Amino acid sequence: MKLFANNMQRWREFRELDKRDRGRAVTELIINNSLYILLFLAIIFIGIRSPRFLSIPSLINILSLSAAGLPIALGIAGCIILTGTDLSAGRIVGLTACIAASLLQSTDYGNKMFPGLATLPIWLVLLIVLAVSGVIGLINGFCTAKFKLHPFIVTLATQLIVYGVLLLYLMIGNNNGQAISGLSPEFNDFINGSILNIAGTPIPNFVWYALAITLIMWVVWNKTRFGKNMFAVGSNSEAANVSGVNVTATIMLVFTLAGVLYGVTGFIEAARISSNSAATGVNYELDAIAACVIGGVSFVGGIGKIRGVILGVVLLRLIFVGLTFLSIDANLQYIIKGLIILVACAIDMRKYLVKK
Amino acid sequence: MKRFFTIILLFALLSSLLLTSACSSGEESEVHVFFYNYSDTYITSVRSALATVMNASGASFQNYDGNNNQTTQTEQIRTAITKGARVLLVNLVNTGSADAATTVVNEAKNAGVPVVFFNREVPDSVVNSYDKCAFVGTDSEEAGHLQGQMIGDYVKENFQTLDLNGDGEISYILFKGEEGNNEAIHRTRYAVEDANNILTSAGMKPLRFYDKSNANKYLVDPNGAWSAAAANQYMTTALASYNEANNNMIELVICNNDGMAEGAITALNTAGYNNGSGKSIPVFGVDATDAAKNLIASNKMTGTIKQDAEGMARALDKLAANALAGRSLLDGVDEFTVDEGVAKIRIPYEKYLG
Amino acid sequence: MEGKFLLEMQNIGKYFPGVRALDGVTLRVRPGSVHALMGENGAGKSTLMKCLFGIYHKDTGTILLDGDEVSFKNPTEALQFGVAMVHQELNQALSRSVMDNIWLGRYPTFGGLFVSEKKMLADTRAIFDELGVSVDPYKIMSEMSVSDRQMVEIAKAVSYNARVIVFDEPTSSLTEKEVAHLFKIIRALRDRGCAIIYISHKMEEILEISDEVTVMRDGRWIATEPASELSMEKIIRLMVGRDLESRFPQRKGKPGEVILSVKNLSGRYNHLENVSFELRRGEILGLSGLAGAGRSELIEAIFGLTARRGGSIELFSRIIENKTPREAIKNGFALVTEERRATGIFGVLSIKENATISSLKGALRLGLFVNDGTLRRNTDWAINEMKIKTASQKTQIRTLSGGNQQKVIFGRWLLTQPDILLLDEPTRGIDVGAKFEIYRLMAELADEGRSIIIVSSEMPELFGVCDRILVMSNGRLAGEVDPKTSSQEEVMELSARFL
Repeated sequence: MKLFANNMQRWREFRELDKRDRGRAVTELIINNSLYILLFLAIIFIGIRSPRFLSIPSLINILSLSAAGLPIALGIAGCIILTGTDLSAGRIVGLTACIAASLLQSTDYGNKMFPGLATLPIWLVLLIVLAVSGVIGLINGFCTAKFKLHPFIVTLATQLIVYGVLLLYLMIGNNNGQAISGLSPEFNDFINGSILNIAGTPIPNFVWYALAITLIMWVVWNKTRFGKNMFAVGSNSEAANVSGVNVTATIMLVFTLAGVLYGVTGFIEAARISSNSAATGVNYELDAIAACVIGGVSFVGGIGKIRGVILGVVLLRLIFVGLTFLSIDANLQYIIKGLIILVACAIDMRKYLVKK
Repeated sequence: MKRFFTIILLFALLSSLLLTSACSSGEESEVHVFFYNYSDTYITSVRSALATVMNASGASFQNYDGNNNQTTQTEQIRTAITKGARVLLVNLVNTGSADAATTVVNEAKNAGVPVVFFNREVPDSVVNSYDKCAFVGTDSEEAGHLQGQMIGDYVKENFQTLDLNGDGEISYILFKGEEGNNEAIHRTRYAVEDANNILTSAGMKPLRFYDKSNANKYLVDPNGAWSAAAANQYMTTALASYNEANNNMIELVICNNDGMAEGAITALNTAGYNNGSGKSIPVFGVDATDAAKNLIASNKMTGTIKQDAEGMARALDKLAANALAGRSLLDGVDEFTVDEGVAKIRIPYEKYLG
Repeated sequence: MEGKFLLEMQNIGKYFPGVRALDGVTLRVRPGSVHALMGENGAGKSTLMKCLFGIYHKDTGTILLDGDEVSFKNPTEALQFGVAMVHQELNQALSRSVMDNIWLGRYPTFGGLFVSEKKMLADTRAIFDELGVSVDPYKIMSEMSVSDRQMVEIAKAVSYNARVIVFDEPTSSLTEKEVAHLFKIIRALRDRGCAIIYISHKMEEILEISDEVTVMRDGRWIATEPASELSMEKIIRLMVGRDLESRFPQRKGKPGEVILSVKNLSGRYNHLENVSFELRRGEILGLSGLAGAGRSELIEAIFGLTARRGGSIELFSRIIENKTPREAIKNGFALVTEERRATGIFGVLSIKENATISSLKGALRLGLFVNDGTLRRNTDWAINEMKIKTASQKTQIRTLSGGNQQKVIFGRWLLTQPDILLLDEPTRGIDVGAKFEIYRLMAELADEGRSIIIVSSEMPELFGVCDRILVMSNGRLAGEVDPKTSSQEEVMELSARFL
């Protein structure tokens, strides 16, 4: 209802403009929403050329791909709102995926990393993984807040450290640097199994987990004091300090929360890809950052919405799937992806520049 | 002005989309080929050979770049299956364990699509778990054995010239492409073992790794990408402390692939070696890429092992054609060597010394 | 006052979607004179100047310079024609030297490639000597006072042989002494034949420096008159369009018992030294002094923004620490900072977020979730109580005028129910109408029994609103004056006591 009223208001305002201003307003509207218009046209176009694109299995494929990318993007979005970034996200995903996998190998797997280890309950492993990633996030936040370093520098460093730890971890026990596999069927079922089929196509369980996390994050961002403080610190950390916001604690909590979300991503990835090596998670943060900026989470600071992040993630996945369906050469896919990120950010930036 | 540039950008995006979709083949591709990494030189030669063969035989195909990332590749395969692929040719990214391959086979099995792995080896159990699954590759041990023989023979012939500091031992450096990859493991092992067998039986001392404190006796690309850059960086660093001035020069370079050999040679060039004439250190690679062949022709590199890209492409085309025609995958493949008890075609290697 | 005009802006109109920002405004400036341009914020002064400099494209009207029609595309082109502006907020390369800033974009070179530092230095010195400015050309801008930086900006205009120079609120962050220096230079420029356009809110200054005054209101020209025929009351009437009963509101209450007593306060990283004073319930206490006297440092130390070396703070006869702003807020303090944009507002956030950030704790449900309804009610209260002019709570605060932004910040603090308000230059850059509202608010709060400490560089303001005025000099307390019995001269004398 509110949305409807808002639009009516806009329409009335529009009616009051003279002809020249109307033209301008329409052009502005088209430019500002061009990405969505383009996306819509692209979906129709691909759907016509390749009808399977809009089939149920394909849509569920897009849904599950998006769900897999959501938690990490939600984590990084917080860092971007603080005018920061997080380069360590991908490596944290890699480390947590390997830890989760190593603790949840099936007991009869020949090359088990810890042969003596009994089957651990899944929730315990999840807690361990979240604790590890949370601590790394906390370190990121601590260095950013206490030493006043830019997160770019901090996470550039922790990213290397985490990778080193991961390589060391992979040498432990029986593993000898190999990829970790032979996951227990319970774990696999917990992530990849399905409790709901649509037209015979199963929706994997991790989609629900991603959904739940998104909901929780929406509440955290919009309905908690911490969320409000996060936006204030991102918008103007000096003013936030004067206003009585504990800036240090807020920054540390944002990064810790981000770390926990990377841990969730790692936990899901462990079973989703089911082969976990030192290369797992590498460069995940770049896609996540791209998704955030496409979705309007701005490096200006203090600006961003959960629905924007979702949109960015879905858009990136749609590009990926859509270009595949159009049989576009892999070389060109990179160029198109790059252009889309550029356009999205240029359009987004227009909204925040003072018009002259 | 800003508005103008935004429109320009939008236009660029739109036109590239239109252009690329215009370039894309109109009909649905039937064969979907997944390469582990476009930036791998040898894989690129397989890609172009495969394109030539497939175009000649009229099969429609689509290529994918896994970008050395199993997640990306798995997602690409899922998407291709939903798109309606009829054959999957997979150059798997993560071969360190069976799980990535198992995941792919399960996806394919559920959709009833035949899947052929190639180049990077998958376990027999995975291939046997699905009747429409096969593997086209080389005998991963063979390349190592051949390289070992080639190195052993070469060192035996030229021992005096190679032994720069006259200590009666040849010191070597070895670049491994990636941890946990079978090809890399076998090449790393047999290249040295077999060469040593030849040397000891001729009454010479075995090869000695240049750095005593390195228990692994190899250096591995930290990104697992078999890259020239990593080899170059290691080589440059090593040459700074191991050189003729210190009387401990590295006397032999062994690489798991030609890309890394190139990187090592560039480092040697900078140090004043392997410039075609003058001082030279023997460098051995695997793959026989065009670049390596050129280097060998110009006396900058010593030898490589030829992996037959055309042969692999022909085999893949044959299997894909069988799958499309609904025949068994290994129908009429007599010209190739097939393993016993498992659907694995072996394309033979050859020594290449120019 | 006879003679032709150097700059004539005739019938200038500018329209934004839905708004007439300028409607047939005319401004004529004679050479060798100072022409004041006045009006409340939003009256269109800035828009008019932006049309002059080509930052906005004017929709109607003509601009004549020395009789020829001109239409500048951008400020750089205007500068080449000898029309310069000294901005309210100095846009300077702060990490570069004075010289670099003056010659930026047109460095004298030899061989067309290498910058000739020698010539640059000589030229800079020549201009400085002419203007009577004593600034080291090698000094880095960020190490200089606002006043010196302004001098650099003026020197830059002179280096372009500017004939028309616009000063936009040049004294908003200057001390009395610096203002006097600035006026000396403005008079020197005038005597060289320059036409000066002087934009300011400060009546006393306008009457002192200007020859003619043009008043604007709501985007329209109201009057142009010789300054000698104007009084402060008349200007205000022209600007506001009605009589302001008084410049300062009446107070009802009287200061009560002592609630805050500060003893021997010294700063750890600044020159604040041994400051002791007391504050009573319902009292408005002024802090006067020159720039750099330590006034802001004092209230920041009390609020826990800067570290203390020694001294104690006693609130309601209880020693408190106030180590962080959070602690200070808990103890009932509130601080409206000097730099509104840098440390006050959250520009991209809405009025609601801006108003409620310090009082979120009171809006919690189950101790965890923020109740949006409470936030909206609180914001509504602030908007009504502070008379904030805005379309909705969701409006981004950066789109409001300075006065309205300041009111939102006042609202933010009143929502925390403070006992003691610390105000650092609360009326800087705010127009007359909004200033009065702030004074009224202060008087009301004091009458309610809240205590206020106000730092201000505008002496009339301190004399108008305060019960007592403390004067600081070089980090120390120089003395106390009673605004009812003392003069501004007395304050000036005390300000210089420890220099």
